[in-house]
Parts: sequence; structure tokens; C-alpha cells
Amino acid sequence: METPDDYLTEDLRDRLIHDPRVYEQDLTIRIDQRKLTVGGNVTTAERQQAITDAARELLPGYEIANETTVVPSSEPDSEERLR
Amino acid sequence: MIRIAAVGDLHYGVDTRNLLRPGFEHLAERADVLLLAGDLTRCGDPAEAQVLAEEIRDLPIPRVAVLGNHDYHADQEDRVRGILEEAGVRVLEGESIVLEIDHARLGIAGSKGFGGGFTGACGSDFGEPEMKAFVGHTKKVADRLENALRRLDTDLKVALLHYAPVEQTLVGERLEIYPFLGSYLLAEAVDRAGADLVFHGHAHHGIERGMTPGGIPVRNVAQPVIRHAYNVYSLEPKLERDRVLAAS
Repeated sequence: METPDDYLTEDLRDRLIHDPRVYEQDLTIRIDQRKLTVGGNVTTAERQQAITDAARELLPGYEIANETTVVPSSEPDSEERLR
Repeated sequence: MIRIAAVGDLHYGVDTRNLLRPGFEHLAERADVLLLAGDLTRCGDPAEAQVLAEEIRDLPIPRVAVLGNHDYHADQEDRVRGILEEAGVRVLEGESIVLEIDHARLGIAGSKGFGGGFTGACGSDFGEPEMKAFVGHTKKVADRLENALRRLDTDLKVALLHYAPVEQTLVGERLEIYPFLGSYLLAEAVDRAGADLVFHGHAHHGIERGMTPGGIPVRNVAQPVIRHAYNVYSLEPKLERDRVLAAS
């Protein structure tokens, strides 16, 4: 029997959390009709690519849509005065 | 005026060398102190901490940090802490530090904090040993935070956490994971002991601004939330404010 998508989703999320290329708890994972969609924030473009690479290995034959975004790390534009 | 730069959840790795160096270029001109709200590394590997340590070693302002859950993953949190402290970063866990800035005294009490949930939907230390340990740990770190804050007799008091003390800054996260993102016990500790401002990280999908039930501002400075190398928060120390009021 093929693993239901619900179990597959959590299995994949767990594997990505522990994958040394990824180590990311913050990802949202959706699997539907043999398509995997990953969302969330990542630190660098290299880490973003690593998620795609790891997902391809873990779910061969699935379409991979990596919708994660790379978080900007520029200087702030302003400051907040609290009092 | 004291200017506090804060950021959390940097998730440094051996692949992120120089990631924040451009963002930190003018930090010393814009802030008097840098606070780091945990999850400084990807998985708590000392090599990752070393990369961050080199990045912030030469910053000419005080640097104060707490660790986050990622920094504990490799069971080498003592080494992570040691590497950061060797680079001049003061790492707090149930402890406090006092900095003199522009003739005012800034007190910072720090703790990683922990989860457990928020009023009306939180865990109790009841039942299995694992559940007692989970909630018991939160109670322990909240007590330590409260004691660390109480020990401070300074013009400004700041609480530095990794886990969230309030729900307000978690908006955007799934409700089901709130108990893993923070605990009301942390806010209760801050409200009991008193503080001027609370920082935390951990909630990447949350929002920046909230407040404890006692009215103390809370800022979620997780980098995915603030989307900058840091944000700056300025406060007038009580003594200076009182002097101005007295003169008028």
C-alpha cells in the first residue's frame, strides 16, 4: 500500500529537520497528487537549493515546488523609539 | 537615550561565513549594545558557533546573547557558549549583566526560556515523568529569569529570551504549535519582577510587536520576522527621564 500523503508529509518534514544540508524546523510541507510544495524562510540561496536537492532524493519521482524565501539581512531602515 | 540592537535566529553554519558582516557594518554607530535572542547556530555544532564568533568578535559594542533550541541540538551547548564568550559575547542563562551606557545603567536578564503554552491552553506538570519534565523545565527557567530580573537595580531592565512569553507575537504561526513556541510563565516572571522591554525569537512566522499582560513591550526579533540584520530599539533611561520631568 502506498503511504498516505499525511504520513508522507510528516515523514519528509522530519527527515528534512534532521538532514545536515537542511536542519530547518520552520518549513511548511504539502504533498498532493505526487507534487511536493515546500515553504518557509531560509538564510541563504545555497540552503534553499539544498532543500530542493534533499527533497528530490527523499521523494524520487515527485514534482518539487520550492517556495521558500531567502531572508534579507541588510541594515534596518529605521529604529523604534519605545519611550 | 539607550539604543539596543537585537536579532535572533541567525542559524549560522559553516556555509554562512560573512553573511551578516555587511549588515553589521554601521552597527556601532546606530546602537549601544547588540542582543542575540538564541538559535545562533543551525544545529549547535561548535564549528558553526566559531563562524559567528569570528563575525562579531571585533564589534566595538557590548554583545549579549541567550542560546536557543538549535544551539542545544548537538548536546554541545557548553562548547557553543564557551566559543561565543571567548569572542567577547556574554551568554546568559538565568543570569544577568549590567552595562554602563552614557551614564545610565542597563540591566539585561537572559534565559532561553521554554515551551508549554499560554493561558487557557497550556500544559501542566502532571502525569507521566516526561510531561512533568517538560513543564517543570519551563517553571525552572521562568523562576531563574524572575530572580535574575529582581537582582537588577538599574535604570533600564531588559529581558532577553529565545522562546516567546506572549501569544501576540506568534500571530501567523499555526495555533497547534503555540505550546512549542513559548509559555505564559515567562511573561508572568517578567511582569512580577518588572522590566522595560522583552526580546525573543523562535517564532519565524510571527509578528514583531506584542505586550505582556502587565503592559511591558515584547519584541519578536527572529530574523525571518524583522527581515534585517538587526532592528534598533531606543529607550530613555528612567533617571534621565525623571531629571527632565523634574526640571520642567
